[in-house]
Order: sequence, then C-alpha cells, then structure tokens
Amino acid sequence: MNDTCIIMKLLPEFILLVGACGVLLLGVTRASLNSSITSLVTFLVLAVALGASLQAGSPDGTYAHLGLWLTSLTYYARVLTLGIGMLLVLANWHQPTSTERGEYMGLILLSLLGLLLTASANDMLILFFAIELVSIPTYVLIAMSRLDKRATEACVKYFFLGALAAALLAYGLSFLYGASGTTLLHHVTASGVTATLPAGSHMSGAALIGLLLVIGGLSFKIAAVPFHVYVADVYEGAAAPMTGLLGFVPKFAGFIALIKILAAFQWQLPSQVMWLLWILAAASMTVGNVLALLQKNVKRMLAYSSIAHTGYMLVALLVGPIAGRGPLHDGIAALLFYVTIYGAMNLGVFAVLTSFRVGDREMETLDDLGGLARRAPIASLALAICVVSLMGLPPTAGFLGKMFVFSSAFSLSTTHAFHGPLVVLAIVGVLNAAIAAAYYLRIVAAAYMGDEKEPAIASGGFPTRLAFCCCSFPLLLLFAWPIELSNQAQSATTEIVATAHHSNTQLVAIDSLTASVDDVADSQAPSSTAK
Amino acid sequence: MSIETLKICGLVILLAPLAGAILAGGLGPRLFKSRSHWPILLGVGSAFTAAIVLFREVYMAPVGETLAKIPLYSWITASAKASFNVELLVDPLTAVMLVMVTGVALLVVIYSRDYMRDHGQPEKGYERFFAYLGLFVFAMCILVLGGNFLLLYLGWEAVGLCSYLLIGFYYDKPSAAAAAKKAFLVNRVGDFGFGLGILLIYISFGTLEYAAVFEMVQERLLASGEPLTDGRLSAIALCLLAGACGKSAQLPLHVWLPDAMEGPSPVSALIHAATMVTAGIFMIARCGAIFAASPLAMTVIAVIGATTALFAASIALVQTDMKRVLAYSTISQLGYMFLGIGVYAADSAVFHLFTHAFFKALLFLGAGSVMHAMGGVIDMRRFGGLRKVIPWTFMTFVIGSLALSGVPGFAGFFSKDEIIHHALSAHWLLGGIGLLTALLTAFYTFRMVFMAFSGPERIPEGVHAHESGGWMLFPLFVLSVGAIGAGYLGVGPKIFHHFLEPVFAETFAAHMPSHGAAHAVAHPSFWQAYGLMVVSGSLAFIGIAAAYVMYVSQPWIPGLIRSSVRGTYDTLWNKYFVDEAYQAGIVEPAKKAGEICVGLDNYFIDGIIWMVTAIPRGLGYLARTLQGGAMQGYGLSMVAGVTVIVLLVFWRQ
Repeated sequence: MNDTCIIMKLLPEFILLVGACGVLLLGVTRASLNSSITSLVTFLVLAVALGASLQAGSPDGTYAHLGLWLTSLTYYARVLTLGIGMLLVLANWHQPTSTERGEYMGLILLSLLGLLLTASANDMLILFFAIELVSIPTYVLIAMSRLDKRATEACVKYFFLGALAAALLAYGLSFLYGASGTTLLHHVTASGVTATLPAGSHMSGAALIGLLLVIGGLSFKIAAVPFHVYVADVYEGAAAPMTGLLGFVPKFAGFIALIKILAAFQWQLPSQVMWLLWILAAASMTVGNVLALLQKNVKRMLAYSSIAHTGYMLVALLVGPIAGRGPLHDGIAALLFYVTIYGAMNLGVFAVLTSFRVGDREMETLDDLGGLARRAPIASLALAICVVSLMGLPPTAGFLGKMFVFSSAFSLSTTHAFHGPLVVLAIVGVLNAAIAAAYYLRIVAAAYMGDEKEPAIASGGFPTRLAFCCCSFPLLLLFAWPIELSNQAQSATTEIVATAHHSNTQLVAIDSLTASVDDVADSQAPSSTAK
Repeated sequence: MSIETLKICGLVILLAPLAGAILAGGLGPRLFKSRSHWPILLGVGSAFTAAIVLFREVYMAPVGETLAKIPLYSWITASAKASFNVELLVDPLTAVMLVMVTGVALLVVIYSRDYMRDHGQPEKGYERFFAYLGLFVFAMCILVLGGNFLLLYLGWEAVGLCSYLLIGFYYDKPSAAAAAKKAFLVNRVGDFGFGLGILLIYISFGTLEYAAVFEMVQERLLASGEPLTDGRLSAIALCLLAGACGKSAQLPLHVWLPDAMEGPSPVSALIHAATMVTAGIFMIARCGAIFAASPLAMTVIAVIGATTALFAASIALVQTDMKRVLAYSTISQLGYMFLGIGVYAADSAVFHLFTHAFFKALLFLGAGSVMHAMGGVIDMRRFGGLRKVIPWTFMTFVIGSLALSGVPGFAGFFSKDEIIHHALSAHWLLGGIGLLTALLTAFYTFRMVFMAFSGPERIPEGVHAHESGGWMLFPLFVLSVGAIGAGYLGVGPKIFHHFLEPVFAETFAAHMPSHGAAHAVAHPSFWQAYGLMVVSGSLAFIGIAAAYVMYVSQPWIPGLIRSSVRGTYDTLWNKYFVDEAYQAGIVEPAKKAGEICVGLDNYFIDGIIWMVTAIPRGLGYLARTLQGGAMQGYGLSMVAGVTVIVLLVFWRQ
C-alpha cells in the first residue's frame, strides 16, 4: 500500500521519469525520423505532469518519507517548472537534428525531474543527487544543442567547473552531516516539524564551514560572483534555446536548495554568513551589470544580466521568510515570485533569438537585431516586452518582481542588526537596476532603430513563435493581475515560515506607514511556532 | 443604483476602447488597413453607450445614494488587511466626465476617419493613429473611473504617454517631435509634484483609497493617530496642484499646450476639450476634501487661474495661427475653471468644463476642417473670406465662437458668467480679471473669425479648396447643438448643479469661507444676478464689435496699433518670452550639466568599468601564463573565492 502511495504522491515526478525513458526510446525508433513528433511527445509528457500536479493540489506538509518532504514549496516548484518546461520545449522544438532529438528531449525531461526532486528533497543526499540530476544532463545538452566548436568548448568548461562545484557542495554537506549527525534537513513528525541543523549560538565551526562550502557550491548553480566566471562563455557557446534553459533551471534549483539549507538552520545565520551573502548579492549585481554594459553579443549580455538578477534574488534570500505577509514583505515569497517572472522573460528573449537566423548562423549580436521591428513586428514587440520586464519597468511583471524584492528588504524590524545593511543593499540594487537599463535599452534600440545589415530570416517555425508569445504577453497581464501568482508565492512559504526563527518575523519598517490599517493583533502575532 | 450594472458599464467603458486599440494596432497593418477606424469606432462607441447607461443609473438613483464603490480585484496585498485594489468609483462627477470624454472622443473618431485621409487614401500610420486614440480614451477613462490614487496616477501617466505619442504622430517632422518631447517633459515637471503628493498621502494616511483618505482628512487624523496639521495638508494639496498645473496647462507649466497643436487637429480637439487638460480640473474636483480644507491651496488655485486666464487671453490677441489662438483660448478658459474652483465654486468650474468641451472641440474640429480645405495651411494671414468656400464649416465655427465669446444664449455665457459671479463675491479683483478676460476673449475669437471668413476670398496658391465630407461635418453639427444647448442645463432649475451637488456638498460647498458670501451666491439679489449678466453680455458684444471694426470695417487700425505700441506687441507676439526664459534659465544650464556628465561618464565611469573588467581579464591572463588554458583559470578563481571566503569568515571569528 505504501508503494502505491509514493507513486500517487510523486505522480508528476514519475510521469517525468517514465516520459523521459519513453522519449529516449522514441529517439532510436523510426518515429524520430519525423521531425517534430518527439518534441510533441515531450510537450505532452510535461502537460500531463502539470495536469497531475494541479490535480494533486498543494501538499499539506505532513507527508515526509524516504528523504522527501512534500510541502507547498514543492507544489509551487512543480507548477512553475512544468509550466516553464513546456515553454522550454516549445523554444527547443526544432533543436538539434531530428535523429538526436530523442536524447535531447529526454535529457531536458531528466533535468526538469531533478528540479522537481530538489523541491521535495528533505535529505542532504537526495538534495545533492537532485541538484546533480539537474546539472549533468545540461552538460550533454549544451554539446548537443548545436554543431559548433564553441558548444563543445562550453560543454567542457561547464562540465569541469560544474564538477568542481559539485565537489564543494558534497564536501560542505559532509560537514553539515558531521555537525548534525543526520542527513535529514527537517524532522517531520506527527507532532510537528523541527529543523535539524544547529543554529545560532549552537552553530559549531564544522557547521559553519559546511554552510560556507554549500553556499559556495550552490553559488555556482545560481551564477553568483565569484562563481560566475563560466557563465558568459557557456551561454554564448550553447544554442539560444538551450541558453534559455540554462538561465532558469539550474538557477531555480540552486535557489531552492539554498532556501532548504537555510531553513534547516531556522534562518538563524551568524552575522559573518549574512555579510557573506550581502557581499555576494552586491557583487553579483554590480559585476553582472557592469560587465553586461560592455557586450555587443546579446547572449553574452544576458549571461551577465543573469548574474545581476541572481544578485537581486539574493537580496530577497537574505531577508528570509516573514510570516503571512505576501511578497511585498516576505523575502522568500518575493524570491519565488521573481524567479517565475525571470524564467519567463529570460526565456522569451532567447526564444526570439531562436526564431531568426542571420545568414547561416543564429541571431546573436546587436547588429543582427537591426531592423527587426520592420521585418517582424510581433517578435520585436515580444522582445521589447521581455527586455522592459528584465529592466523592471511598468507595465510589465518585471517591475513587480523588482518592487517585491526591494520592498522586502525594508521589512526586517528596525532593531534587527541587519536592517541597515539590507536597506543599503536595496539601494545598491535600485542603482544597479538603473545601470542595467543602459544595456537593456540598447537591445530595444537595436531592434527598433538599428539599421538592417543582413536580413534576419524567420527560422523557428510556429512553436518558437508560440514560445515567445507565451513568455512575453502574459508579463503585461501579470502586471495588471499579479494577485494569483503572489498569493501562490506567499502560500509556498508556509512550511519555511513555520520553522524560521522569531527574529525575522517581527516587522516594523514598512508597517509604520500602515499602522492604522493593520490592527495591532496582526503585527503581534508572528506565525512562528519554532521551538 | 445596481452595482452589477455599474460594474458592467465600467468594464465596457474601460475595456472596449482598449480592445479596439489592440485590434487596430495589432491587426491593423495586416487585416484592417484602410478600415482601421472601425475597431476604435466600435470600441469608443460601446464605451459611450455604456457611459450613457451609467449616467442614467446615477441620475435615477435616489438622493444620498449616488456614490458607488465597485471593487474589481486586489492588485497587491501588503498584509492581511492592507492591499492595493483595482476598484472603480462612480458618482455624479464620474458620470458627467465619462459621458463627456467618450462622447467627444466618439465624435473625434468619426471626424478622423476622413481627416486622416489624403484624397481618399489613408495617411501613413492610419492604424497607428486610431490605436493611439483608443489607448488615449482608455487612459482617460481609467483616470476618471479609478477608485484610488494609484489608478489615478496610472491614468495620469498613461494620458501623458498617449499625448506624447499623438502630438508626435508626424514624428518625421522635427517640430512635431520637439512638441511631443516638450509636452512630455513639461508634464513630467508637474507629475513629479503629483507623485510626491501621492507619496505624501500614502505616508500620511497609510492608504490610497479615495474614501478612506478623504474621511481621514475630514476627521483631521493621520494614520499614526496624530492630528493632521494645516501645513501637511497644504503640502499635499500643493504637490497635487503642481500635477494639475502641468496637465491643465496653467502658469507656469502652460508652455506645452500651444505647441501641442503640432499633432493632427482631431488630436488637438481631444486633448483640448475632453481628455488630458480636463484631468487637472477633474483631479482637483475629485480631491475636493483635500483642497477645500486648505485655504492656502485654494487661494493659490484662484490666483493661478485668474492670472493664467488673463495672461493667455492677452497672448491670443495677436497670434495669427488659427490653432495657436485656439490653444491660448483653451489655456485661458482652463484658467477660468481654476478660478472657479479657487473660489469654492467647483460645480460651476465643472459646468464650464462641460460646456467648454463642446465648443472647444467644435472650434478645433472646425479649424481642422479649414486646414483640410486649405491644404494644410493654418496661418490666417494666408487665407481669408472663406465663408462661401466652406459654408458649413463657417456656420458651425461661428456658433462655436459665439459660445466661446460668451454671447448670451450660447453655452459659454452661462458657465463663464457663473464663475465670474462667484469670483466677484470672493474678491473684486478676481472678478474684475474675469470680466476683462471675457472682453479679450470675445475680441480675439471674432478677430479670428473675421480674419478667416470675412472679406475678399483669398486661398493659398495651388490649393483646391473644398468643403469637408459628411464624416467630418457630422461631428461639427452635433457639437454645434451642444455649444448652443449645453448651457441651459445650468439655468432655471439648474439640473447640472443639482446633479453634482452631492459630490461637492461636504467639500467645496461646506468650506466656503464666509456664509454671507455663500448666501449671496445661492440667493443673489436681482441686481447681482442680472446686473452681472448684462455687464458680461455687453462685454462680449463690445469685444465682437471691436473685432469687427478693426478687422472688417477699418482694417488699417491694427497696423496703427501695432506700430504705436511696438514693445507691447512684440511681448505678446513672443508670448511674454516665457519659452525663451525657460530655454535660457533651465534648458541651457541642463544641457551644460549634461555635457559635464558626459565628460564624467567618458573619463571617470568608463575608467571604473575598465578597472572592474580588468579583474577577469587579469585573472584570465594570470591563468593563461600559469596553466595555458582559460578554464583552469576559471577553476582557480572559484577555488580562490571559496578559500578567501572561508578564511575571512574564520578570521573574523
């Protein structure tokens, strides 16, 4: 009975696994000769898995078994991953030659499966394997994505550096195991949930060094400074639609893992670690944006911008969970909201790049974009929406993402030691967003005002066009109607908030403005039940 | 009032023009082509119909139940209790504004169908034009219908954006591009104040919802429980006022409006009559609770209004560009509305706004028709005697001019007279300025009429002058009816004022400074009421007569005056040198500062960037010399990073 129970609880994951095997098999049959049947099957697998996730609804956080713990975060990650995954498949529809497509699509499914497992992992081992399941297929995918020496080079670089990061992560986790004596992150029992890792003043040297190494290893996945060096080369080397995947899947997995590890520390971090994250955030934003300013290649530009966006998300991670306040105050909800928007807008740009060829190569430099607006008005509009959203301007959802992230930085209580530094960090972030506008605007300017040097030829077909439309236009809709998503992001933090320590859950700053609106009881009832 | 009906109406009013704009803009180039006016025509038409239904609902509502809040959905939640909502507010003020905005917009769309064609062929950007129009109407309706300051701000900015797009519609013409930029930037100055005002409201009251804010203002309470001081209230009011001065083109932010005529004439009609410039007046009327409670702000409004009215009217005396005369007359009339609000007669101000919408739209569309007939020429020195050439345009234009001049019996007379009446009972100087402006108005209006339509027939060379077609004449006829009849809503039983009464009862009406004056206004003596009518009516006739003498019977007089008061004439001709002063005092210094910044950017910032980028370059170089491959260098930097982090953390411990 227990076995069927697991299958039912993990139905989306199982569908992906079976689907991945099926698609791999499909690759070696004659069906693969038909150009898009493999892509279609992959798309359907994801659609069915998404349907299963929605059907199952949000787990109540009581099911923990075999190192997995199904929480509302799992649900959020499932829906988001599978949804963006469908768009990814659309963007990758015609990627590599049809004979290799079975392997290609199968590996995409496995990578997404890794992401789902990361979101349910409650055990360091599972977490490690899940994270690697995300990464290992991507090494192969980069090499397969196009027949170009640069792709091979990118693959090799990414693989070796990824192996180094994995080593750091495994090493760090082993220290954490040594400090806590268990590989579990949370003890989930009928009577409640307790975090396992020794926090605050109990934190030993071993736990601290473990945490630092884990942050180091995961910083590679999320592409934070100083673990960002590979990003530009790898993004440039891979085919555009694969770059769209690289910008979202490993980043999201890394952030989920960071959230899980920090939650296991009950979000009680020694000030050195807070400062470390502070520096990572500030450095990622600044370095990413400054380096992006110099680029002429759109893919390299977006590679550096992806480092900057990691910086913005780290601000929210540093704020941590704040009970029941929605993404405007709750850092984790803001992060989850942001990563969703980021996934869409980032993929949107790459899907537009995928949809055109200049001469016999991919469209990738600013010069290639010249005159696109006259040739393809809808694609240019989609590109402009995504870029404006990356910039963080209304009326796009990117604006809300940035607003949530930066406003959450103000929500630690003024007595909290880290209130001041966070406010400074938010200011650094806003300044960075202003710097970033300079290079993002160059993309829009190139498409709308640049001169056409070589004509861009539509090449992606209907699926890629559908992909960029689905990525861009909903960003406008989400700006007007963000409440559903922000509610989901808020409820996704339920379990994390419940185990977080008090100190972060007391709010003053922004609420001094709305004191009369919120009654007193509201601010005096931190939902923390830890200890 | 049924909330459900109102909700449906509100949604139609908002979404129909938006949908039209998306259809025209998205499918126009491929599908609709020369039929691109249809989506907008249908969209704005449905919005107008819905506005009528909404108006009827409000009008039929029993006394005391004319206000409805319609929550649509929650936009962002700040906490369990505080959230920013998308909500609509319907009250008589909204209803009047909506009917006016959508009605004028509908006529403008009908008119544009022919106007934006050249010999029957659609102009370049035909679908773009209609898409912008739809967007403009959508923005204005959001501004009017919104139930909180956030939506007001959204509409406010969106209207600014649309005006930028429409004024700069002929973007390959440098003067149009410059005018669009000017409109946008001058409005930004006001909008900055407006934004600050909204932030101040949020900080003070912790909410942006109209009803909640106004209630707290009435109770003089801040969100923190402390009392609201006069200083803070005035600060809020003055900040908002800055925004209103920008949108409604009042001194010292009026400079954008005369240049805005660079856009196509129907756009001018829309901007000057129904949308955009009325936004400032509407906002002050809507926020009556805030403004009326601050005597300082009210005084400022009255003074700005009176000054602007006279100032703009005096400039209009000497301009020769037909649309420019009309633009200054708009500024002057908006000055009247400000004056009206400033003396606590908001209902009269809104009444003037309402009547003005008819005759100003009529005049602008008429001027557009003249321009259409004259092959794009609008300088009155280059044509004349057109009454036979374009008879229908002439007739409707004269009706509009009579209304603008305030000739008894026409719409402008009733509403303007009311404002002057209230101004007189507030302060003799304000009333005096109002009367003087009325005289000037009549003069410059008919100077324009006589210059363009009387005398021998003169037509620019190479132009085949012709009367406009039905699509263009129909709106002129409809508006003519309004320009004659709209004023009668404000006399006798004063239907218009009674309808608006609940809106202003607790704000402007309640705060009127002395009850004596209020009484005098409400129950004027025979002489007060009719004496003023006689005076202002005669002033209109005197102005017209003077224009007749100077431009028809004794045409040598203007030249004599021009040469005898050269200095004054030049000052007026150059619009008091305001543009030149701004250029020298603001634009040039800003350019200088910009050049300094460019220098800083080139040497200082780029230097920093070079240094920052030197790090990876240096690392790469280091790696290359050490191991001969970039990837190993990357690995090295990662390991070095981790080592430094671990060492630093433990060293600090």
